[in-house]
Amino acid sequence: MDDFPEGSLGHSVPFLVVSGLNGAEPELPIEGDLKDQGILVQSDLPRLETREATVLDELFTKVDAAGRSWQGVDREEKFRFRVKSTGRSVLLPPRKAQLPDSEKEESSSTSLPVLHSPFSPLSTCSRLYPDGLIDAQWIQKHQHLVPSIILSFYTITTDPTTTTLQDNRLKSDIAAFRSALVASGYKTKLAVVLLADDDSTPATQATGLQERLENIRRGSGLDPKSLFYIPPQGSPGELKNVMLNILSALYGPAVEYYRDLGRHARKKRSRGIAPQPTVPPTSGTSRTLELAGWNFRYDFKSAVLGEFRQEYDAAMKSYEQAYEVLLGPDVLDTIPSWSPRWNEARLLADIIAIRCLRLHFWLRQTSLAVKRWQAHRDRLADFVERRGHGTDNYGWQAWEARWALVMADLMDKVELQGLEPESGAMFLPPDKAVLGDRLQPFELLHHKGYWYRTAARALMARRRLAARIREEDRSPPDQKGKVFSYDTYLCPMPYEENPLEGQGTNHAQLIVDCLLEAKAQFEARNQLRIASELSLECAREFSRMKKWQDVLSILRPLWESRVFRSEGWHGASEDLCWLIRRAAAAERKADLVVAVDWELMSKQFAQRPQWSYDLSRSLEGIELTDKPTVSLTDDQHESFVDASFVFRNKESRAGDHCSAQLSLTSNALAGAAPLALSEIKITFDGSLKPIVLSHKAGSGSDGTFLKSATTLSEQFDENSEDGLPSLLKGDDDLTLVPGSTRVYELSIPLREAGEISAASLELTYRGEQFDMTYGMKLGRASQPRGWYRDGFKRPFHARDDAHTLQVQPRPPKLDIQVLEPRNQYYANEPIKLKVQLDNAEAEVASVKVDVHLFGQKAPIFTLSSNGEEEEQTASVAEAESKITGFSLGKLESAATSDLNLAMEPLDAPTTLDLHVRATYHLDSDPATPIMQMLPVQLAIVSPFEANYDLVPRLHHDPWPNLFDHENIVTGDEASKAATAAKGIAQAWCLICHYASFAEEDLRVLGMEMKVAPSAGHARCDVVKQHPIPADGVVMTPKTMEEARFELTAQKMSLDDRQPVSVDVSIVIQWQRQDEQDQPVNTTVMAAGQYLVLSTEPRVLASVFEMPPAAAAATAPDDSLMHLDITIENPSAHFLTFGLTMEPSDEFAFSGAKQTTVHLLPMSRRAVTYRLLPLVRGTFVRPGLVVRDKYFQKMLRVIPTEGMKIDKDGLLVWVPPGENEEEEEEP
Amino acid sequence: MTTAIPSIACLGIIGRNNNPLHISIFPSYDPQSNTFAPLRTPLEFSLLLSSSIDIFDLRTKHNAINNTPLATGDYGLLHAIDDRLAAYGFETNTGVRMVCVVDMRGRRAAVGSSSVRSGLRDAEMKPVFRAMQSAYVRLLQNPFFAPDEHLGPVGGHGGRRITSRKFGEDMKRIGEGWTPGVTNL
Repeated sequence: MDDFPEGSLGHSVPFLVVSGLNGAEPELPIEGDLKDQGILVQSDLPRLETREATVLDELFTKVDAAGRSWQGVDREEKFRFRVKSTGRSVLLPPRKAQLPDSEKEESSSTSLPVLHSPFSPLSTCSRLYPDGLIDAQWIQKHQHLVPSIILSFYTITTDPTTTTLQDNRLKSDIAAFRSALVASGYKTKLAVVLLADDDSTPATQATGLQERLENIRRGSGLDPKSLFYIPPQGSPGELKNVMLNILSALYGPAVEYYRDLGRHARKKRSRGIAPQPTVPPTSGTSRTLELAGWNFRYDFKSAVLGEFRQEYDAAMKSYEQAYEVLLGPDVLDTIPSWSPRWNEARLLADIIAIRCLRLHFWLRQTSLAVKRWQAHRDRLADFVERRGHGTDNYGWQAWEARWALVMADLMDKVELQGLEPESGAMFLPPDKAVLGDRLQPFELLHHKGYWYRTAARALMARRRLAARIREEDRSPPDQKGKVFSYDTYLCPMPYEENPLEGQGTNHAQLIVDCLLEAKAQFEARNQLRIASELSLECAREFSRMKKWQDVLSILRPLWESRVFRSEGWHGASEDLCWLIRRAAAAERKADLVVAVDWELMSKQFAQRPQWSYDLSRSLEGIELTDKPTVSLTDDQHESFVDASFVFRNKESRAGDHCSAQLSLTSNALAGAAPLALSEIKITFDGSLKPIVLSHKAGSGSDGTFLKSATTLSEQFDENSEDGLPSLLKGDDDLTLVPGSTRVYELSIPLREAGEISAASLELTYRGEQFDMTYGMKLGRASQPRGWYRDGFKRPFHARDDAHTLQVQPRPPKLDIQVLEPRNQYYANEPIKLKVQLDNAEAEVASVKVDVHLFGQKAPIFTLSSNGEEEEQTASVAEAESKITGFSLGKLESAATSDLNLAMEPLDAPTTLDLHVRATYHLDSDPATPIMQMLPVQLAIVSPFEANYDLVPRLHHDPWPNLFDHENIVTGDEASKAATAAKGIAQAWCLICHYASFAEEDLRVLGMEMKVAPSAGHARCDVVKQHPIPADGVVMTPKTMEEARFELTAQKMSLDDRQPVSVDVSIVIQWQRQDEQDQPVNTTVMAAGQYLVLSTEPRVLASVFEMPPAAAAATAPDDSLMHLDITIENPSAHFLTFGLTMEPSDEFAFSGAKQTTVHLLPMSRRAVTYRLLPLVRGTFVRPGLVVRDKYFQKMLRVIPTEGMKIDKDGLLVWVPPGENEEEEEEP
Repeated sequence: MTTAIPSIACLGIIGRNNNPLHISIFPSYDPQSNTFAPLRTPLEFSLLLSSSIDIFDLRTKHNAINNTPLATGDYGLLHAIDDRLAAYGFETNTGVRMVCVVDMRGRRAAVGSSSVRSGLRDAEMKPVFRAMQSAYVRLLQNPFFAPDEHLGPVGGHGGRRITSRKFGEDMKRIGEGWTPGVTNL
């Protein structure tokens, strides 16, 4: 809006001149002859030089500053003035223009010409003469030259001696001033402020002050409301308040002043005649302003005066009226477009439109304002098309831009509410006046950014049109006054806009200015994407101006924040990249060029024809002093290479190899050159050292998929402390062909335990012109994580977090095994185990062994190594025995060491847990202990099981006789022959059936029965052990053998009636069949406890084939058998038994068929039957019943050798005869 | 003489992560050459759609502060781009944004036609968004359409765009069929 004439657009507020406060000389800020024709109105009294004067002067400066504001005056505001402070004199512009000198002579003769205001088109001195409409000077006159009120300051003295004199001087001075003012012809009012002087006291003020003031007022001819008195004030603040009140009081008269002027203008319009100029025009067209022009002039004046009064509605009405008149058929239509008046009229139309817009804003009619803005544009466009040079040239676009900027400036200056950045509003809601109407979207007032952008668009159009200016118009014209067919309203002539030689209008700069303003507005409202778009446009303009530095500075933040790229707006980001590429190349920023080229390779972008997508040729044509090294990261630079790193398995062990795949997919444009990387470096988090793959020219497959296995070798640092490799190296073909996937399968040796995760990847390119590295993060969620199997081009989903690997600690490679283990170990045998330690490590190990044995009862054991040297005894705990820290010394690689473990024999079958734990460390790494353990479970079983049966036998010795005196011993002899048994003796036989429970053959070397009498009153003797051959008996598994042992038991004393129990056990001596050189094992089996020598009577049957006495005497009859029934009565009672023998078909017998036997206490008797069996080789059943006569109780007949018993009774074995020997079988 | 009436210049679907899913551009009538041509280049239209995201975000934030969330997702006028183009917006409850750029002078209308009225009300855009939404719903109902692939750039790679031919035809039908006052597309 700066192009509009000064004062034409300012906010019109009442103008006030303050006089007497400072010493400023009066001057007229107008040009030309008028400057010297000013009317001086002055006062003779000295100006005020008190402290108050300074304070007030400052106050008026502030009031003036507030008056310049373009904000609307609301009802609450008490006043708004523009204030000019001068000295004692005030200079007013001439009321009437002077007659031009040429006319003076002529006029003297004829009638006196009518003189007019020097600003009127009627006066020859005016610029508007003779047919101009109105210009800013008229507004300036009322705003800056002719005040509505002159406010004069005087001091009123309180010195009683001089009051009258002073008052009279005041009176006459004010009167003179006033009359001079009236004489000037202006309607300006005079107001006077009297300040009490410094010496005054309340007393002096009181005395007659009222009369004095009245006197002065009357004497000077002032009206009552124009004289103010200010008593001395305590502080400057109070003084200011008083003064502000005076200004409020003066505001009414000031508004009234402008109302009078407005009335005057309306009156003149209503006359309906066009006044004639002072001197008729003689030169030019001699055209004068017509009535319509005058009507416009009056309407315009009343509108501006209405604005002075802050009567917005009235002002608006007048403006619209003036506007209609101006653009109506009678004013602008009649002005030819080549005339300067044409542009003046356009300027007036603009001024009116701007002032209307401002009124709309003040009235908060924002939608109406936009409608008005658009209406003016449409109307003028129509007009320019119709009457002017058309809208299709740069001048019109220049105006369009200006018109858009006007809106932004107005919104700025009026300080429109509701569109501040904080409000977050893009546009204001429709105002009440148009609430129900159908509105164009842009008619809702948008914020300033919109308008700046609109202006920038228009400026671009202007540039486009300026470039189309015909060549002949682009050089300065030869003759003056050449008319161009271009619209040059408020813009340069075509030969200045776009000259053939030299600089014309810098359109780009104008556009950039607008764009940057717009960008600031959008950024303030957080509309960052639009701001980015504007940055792009700015950059285009900068690059047009070849301001590459500016291009970079505006685009780099965009590029680095990746605003379009990150959200997938590829078109925009491509545009951005190309702009940067161009600027960077011009600025020789090699790193940027390479980075942008790297990004542009991506196939997300459109392929630019004629462009060579070859990274190696990026810097061609850019002069560089040294070879640059460019380092890019995926945080900041997008990549056309997708990378993923996947471990095959989730877990592995230190010392093993794990396989992994690195896959690189090139998403480059199809036409791009293959990129041969020099090196790929993979770094890991965790204990794995980086892997570096170097380029090795390979087959260069053209296919879209290539998988290859790459071998890695470990590189060791010379001065490494831990002896671990510092790098893993491999080489392969690292060429990335556009659109192809390259998979490198790596077998990675693992050295340390812990979690490994692939962290980053660095692609290195080394070319002739530059070196480049591109760092990528691995393990992002978006990266593909699949495993490429053989024969498939697509990966199979591996698992989540496939880029991590859990490495377990190094596995021990010392093998422990038990050599030649037995299937079974037996109780009662010493157990020997041979444990072998085999060092499968690659180096020498120092080994220590701990052996633990657990069980219900852990036996003692000994350890020896290699059959010699150390031997230790186990330390025994309750159920555990162990040997710890048994050192085996150094074990060479691949060497073995034997450990012999010997356990004491166990008494009973049990289960033992044996833990052999070898702890060792390698000589190369003494700090890391490695442990290997072998758990062995030993089941100890007993080799034999047996069952026992103790059966009675007939003791052949006679029983001691109770009446035998020789056997009666005295007390003395009893002690002597304590061992000689005197009691009843019985014979018994223990039948033992024993079986081998072993799984292998055992050799029994001897058996023995042991009897342990429980008390001393009886004696038990083993009469006959079971005989075993000298080389033993081989017992195969699961077979049963029988063994018989005979024993006798005898009471020590005949008187003893107690039964005796005997504990019997069987001792077996045995060996394993295959261990005949070993000592003999002894197993003791308890056969149980038996009662012998009870006092109950018993019946024993015994059979002889021939009575021993008669065998020799009689002729042996093989078939005859003797059956003895022996009844024993060991009790102290006399017992009677009845015997009955029943006849049978199986045998014939002789003996008592029925008899009674009497038995004395402690005696036995035998009844003998002779049997002649009728059958052979079978059992016969003698029907023999023994009955206790007294108790009527049947006694059981107990069989002895050669007999048996079942539930029906006794059975006697009849041996077969000689002729039937073959078929007999017991 | 003919009068210009509004027409659709561009329809855009923007994904939840501000990624473009679909852009359809429709030609506008050019009275000078008496032809139909798009008002701007595809790049300019895509920038224009992207800039509407700002306003969606601002409005959402503003509504959240004032505790007046939009019930229907209809954002109405987002902003005017210039005196011809204006962007209208709609947001589904899954965060997919639909933008309709209207050219206020994109179509000819014969003089005397009853539909010739200047200006445009927000409500007149509702059928457009309703139709766009149902087209989008139809797209989602396709079992071969994987919405996750269109989620947009999570780790730096742009999401895929909608390639469904049927969806494109739907958009074309909407864009060409709409004029102010049309209630059903």
